[in-house]
Amino acid sequence: MDRTSVKIVVAGGFGTGKTTLVASVSEIPPLTTEEILTEASIGVDDTTGVEGKTTTTVALDFGRITISPDVVLYLFGTPGQDRFWFMWDELAQGAVGAIVLVDTRRLESSFAAVDYFERRGIPFVTAVNRFFGECAYTDDEIRSALELDSRVPLVWCDARDRDSSKLALITLVRHAMARLRVRAGSVPVAP
Amino acid sequence: MTFETWDGDDESAAGRFVPLYVLVNGRTAPRDSTLDLATQVVALPVDTRGLEPEYVEIVRRCANWISVAEIGAYLHLPLAITKVMVDVLIEQGYLGAGTPAQRNIVDLHLLDSVLAGLERL
Ligand SMILES: Nc1nc2c(ncn2[C@@H]2O[C@H](COP(=O)(O)OP(=O)(O)OP(=O)(O)O)[C@@H](O)[C@H]2O)c(=O)[nH]1
Ligand SMILES: [Mg+2]
Repeated sequence: MDRTSVKIVVAGGFGTGKTTLVASVSEIPPLTTEEILTEASIGVDDTTGVEGKTTTTVALDFGRITISPDVVLYLFGTPGQDRFWFMWDELAQGAVGAIVLVDTRRLESSFAAVDYFERRGIPFVTAVNRFFGECAYTDDEIRSALELDSRVPLVWCDARDRDSSKLALITLVRHAMARLRVRAGSVPVAP
Repeated sequence: MTFETWDGDDESAAGRFVPLYVLVNGRTAPRDSTLDLATQVVALPVDTRGLEPEYVEIVRRCANWISVAEIGAYLHLPLAITKVMVDVLIEQGYLGAGTPAQRNIVDLHLLDSVLAGLERL
């Protein structure tokens, strides 16, 4: 008897449609879990007097897709405030990869997310959310604005549409698999 | 698998926040708890009578496989607290844990089945 968990992170700037994407493909309405954060200056070994210190709450939304009787895929949306890097680390650890949502009206708001996954070598795809139909930019313009590596897939999506969100997920899993195959194939042959 | 900590332009006040260090049953949450929020657990057929009510409530939620994140969401418990409590329950034999996400990141076979599952949706 075993049960395996698989994670995918849904990231992007504030209000780019992360929760909407999770909701459109999840088999349950998105759930919210909270983390209470406290100022790091307290020091990790000091558990006394925490009440008096500054705390803040960060919420994350997630959904689930049952893949098979023993595999469940969890989709975690990053917190709206992308300043809480600690939470990103927790979400990204062990994840297949990430979908970085991009709002063409505010391309720069997803720059931090692109940078985050790129630096860590975590596979990701960019999903440009067509908020209001037509978009003023071409793929190339978006790629250069986000300084995207040419190998990073870019898809257009409507986060409210299940098939569209599904396609973004499939593109990510294929991309992650292709990267794994390249790695496996590039193992240097012993002289 | 370890991660470098963020060294970017994070000068904001929020950058100084970390999860509240919790104390549950005399235990503090390990900063590097191996229990991932996506890890699923299930109740084992064990008598829960000596358990405190908050713990019994968690075990009840685990009649079917459920992730740490879902337990936290349904019981309105902060994640760090949920993790320590679930950790305690696993250690004491009330819950069994499934395979965490971390181990499968290089498993092409698993990714293949995830892909097939998504295509079937
Ligand atoms: N027209 C249109 N509206 C969308 C689309 N995706 C999301 N929205 C709307 O945009 C708003 C923000 O979407 P959310 O899914 O809450 O965005 P988010 O990234 O989770 O936001 P935060 O968690 O606050 O950062 C909501 O009002 C959505 O209904 C889309 O593809 N098209
Ligand atoms: Mg959201």
